[in-house]
Order: sequence, then structure tokens, then C-alpha cells
Amino acid sequence: MKRDKNRILYKCLALLVPLMTLVSPTWLSISGVGPRWAELWLLPWALEEGPFAGLFAGFCLGIILDGLNLDGSSQIPALIFLGYWWGCLGRKRKYSDKSFVLGTLILFGSFLSGFSIWLQQSFQFQGSFFNVWALHTVLAGSIVSGLIAPLLCSLSLNTFFRGKP
Amino acid sequence: MVNTRRKVAFRWWSRKSFWYWFFLSIFLLFIRFSKGAFLLDIFAVFSRPFWPGTAQKEWIVNGTNLEQQIRIDLLEKDNQRLRQILKLQNSSKKNQVSAAVISRRSKDFWQQLELNKGAKDGINAGDAVLGPGGLLGLIETVTLTTSRVRLLTAPATKLGVWIERSKVHGVLTGIGTNRPQLNFLEKMPDAKLGDIVSTSPVSTLMPPNLPVGVIQSIDEQNLPSPYAVVQLIASPEAIDWVRVQRSNEKR
Repeated sequence: MKRDKNRILYKCLALLVPLMTLVSPTWLSISGVGPRWAELWLLPWALEEGPFAGLFAGFCLGIILDGLNLDGSSQIPALIFLGYWWGCLGRKRKYSDKSFVLGTLILFGSFLSGFSIWLQQSFQFQGSFFNVWALHTVLAGSIVSGLIAPLLCSLSLNTFFRGKP
Repeated sequence: MVNTRRKVAFRWWSRKSFWYWFFLSIFLLFIRFSKGAFLLDIFAVFSRPFWPGTAQKEWIVNGTNLEQQIRIDLLEKDNQRLRQILKLQNSSKKNQVSAAVISRRSKDFWQQLELNKGAKDGINAGDAVLGPGGLLGLIETVTLTTSRVRLLTAPATKLGVWIERSKVHGVLTGIGTNRPQLNFLEKMPDAKLGDIVSTSPVSTLMPPNLPVGVIQSIDEQNLPSPYAVVQLIASPEAIDWVRVQRSNEKR
């Protein structure tokens, strides 16, 4: 019963993802690039709810974020893949308990999603693929997300999914 | 515990979960296709206490002095030229509306600003957005009370510009970095370091002669045509108030 309530609460917390993306606080950014809030929300959800819930949640978040961003590239494929992958990893509980592992997962996940946007933009805009600016943006986004992930993700995991009774 | 009424008939539309998913998907699609209209309006309401105050106005007045000098110079020359040829789109200060920046993402993959004025104040997609110093970007989408600006530095932002001194035309293309790239249309453009780049007066989309930037370096060896790197005069990182040049007709 309490678990269900916590799950609904956590679903409502997903609204913070577009809001934090819009706020994008400057003190929480590396060279102007803020953390990828969608991945930070998606990781605990996918780890606890399994691959298909993660996949669907990634799709929903991708739709909302695409509405907030400029046209031309979509975050949906990367988020779907990450939701599924993290859902599969969540089955093996022993990997996903350590906060260092959470940070590493977010680091790789944000790098993947940033890289997918890089690919889409380089195909679409006919710029050169080897673009230092895009590499900087991908690295900055994944590093800042990976740095706050151990804090945020383990906090939300403990608060909403694995709280001690 | 067995509910016998359930056995009478199975109606898929009478299931609660079907309607839950139906309305959720409608809601998500609405957000997607209205480019976040609903969410942005909520965000505008919530962030109202944090909108920038009026203190920056003095700073804007100082910053506009340089812009004014360049503008006056450009406008005088342009007027003489137009009298000889024909009348094109007018740029008047009367049709400007000032708006506060309520969300700023100028360095990410999507380089955009959100403004607190929207369709209610007569802003249309494609309008020019001016900061202290010159052109910042173009309005991309508009909701009722907010509007989204695509910055000049954003990838794939294209704008027809010219160098007033030598009347060389080119296309200013955002490549993501702080300094957009000016692709010339001809093989041997007459361009020098320090030339002022402004919006093209033959454009029917943009108001003419808004200062954009200064040429910082030129690559003359590039094929098929040379390009220049342009330092923008207005910097989106520090600006809290912008002006939107409204166009009268809807596009």
C-alpha cells in the first residue's frame, strides 16, 4: 500500500524533469551545460520497475522533452534504450545498490543520449561530424549528471522504493 | 468476493485502465505537438516571482548606445540607397515589445531562450529578437503567454546578412559554438577583419540593418566558398531583458 503511494509520488516527481530543464540553474552546470534530468529520474524508476516500464517511461519523458526543445533532434530513442537497459540491469540487484554504480550508469547513459543527439544533428545539419563543440557538450552534460547522480538517485531509491519500514 | 456482474458482458470501453492510457496519450501528444504549450504556461506562472527586475534597464540603456551609433550610420546610408531604388520592409522602433527571459539555455545542444510575452502581445514566429547590442535570435514557436527564441549560435540557424561596407552578402549559420559562421556566396568576397555584419536590407523576412556582429577571422582557402567567423555583439548569457521586433503580418 505504502509502496503504491510512493510509486504515484515518484510518477508525479517526473513533472520536475521539464521544470528543471527549463530552470537550468547556472550554478549546477559545467560550461553552461546542465545535468540531464530525464536520465536522473529514469534510472531509479527503470531499476525498480523493470525493462518495459522503463522503456515506456523513457518514451513519455522523450515526448515531453522534445516539446520543450528546438526542433531537429529527438531524445526519444536514447531514452527508450536507456529505460530498457537499466530495467534489465535492475533484475541483478547486487550491481545496482552501490551509489558509485548509479553514478557510472548515469555517466554512460547521459553520454549515450548526448551522443545520439550529436549523431542526429550532424546528419541533419550537414555540419562536420567531428565537432569539438558537440564533444564538449556531451562530455559536460554526462560529467555533471554523473557527479550528482550518486546523491540524487540513491536518495530517491531509498525514499521511494527501498525505504526501511 | 466474486463479482457476478462482471460476467454479463465484457466492454473494453468500460475498463478504467483503457481510459487512463487513452487520456494520458492524448495529453502527451498535446504537449508534443503544441511544443510544450501547457507546460510552458505553467512554468511562466510559477517562475513569475523570479523574473528579472528592472535594475538591468540602466545597463541596457548604456549598452544600446553603441548599437545606436552603428544603426544610425547604417540607416542613413540605407535610406539614400532606398530612395534611389525602391521601398522595402520598414524597421521602426514603435513596433517593439520588451520581454523578460524566463528560461535560458544558451550552451546546450538546444540553444534557446524562453520569453514571458507570447501571442497575446502580438509576437509571431519568425520575429527578430534584439538584445543590448544587436540581434540575438529569431522567435521559433509561440504559446499564449510565452515564446521560444532560437539563438543565432544554435546549430542550423540560418540568416541572410551582409557586410555593409562592401555590400557582400552571405548566410550566417549557427554551428553551436559562441561564434556563428558567415558563409559567403562568392569566391572572392571583399571582407576584412573588423567589418560589421548586419541583417540584409533586401530580406523580406527580417527587418533591415540590425547589427549582428563583427568579423573576427576569415578562412579564404575554404572550398567551395570562403567563410568568416563572426563575434556577436549581443551576448545571450548575461541578458535578462530583450526586445522583440514585431512584424505586422502573420506568417
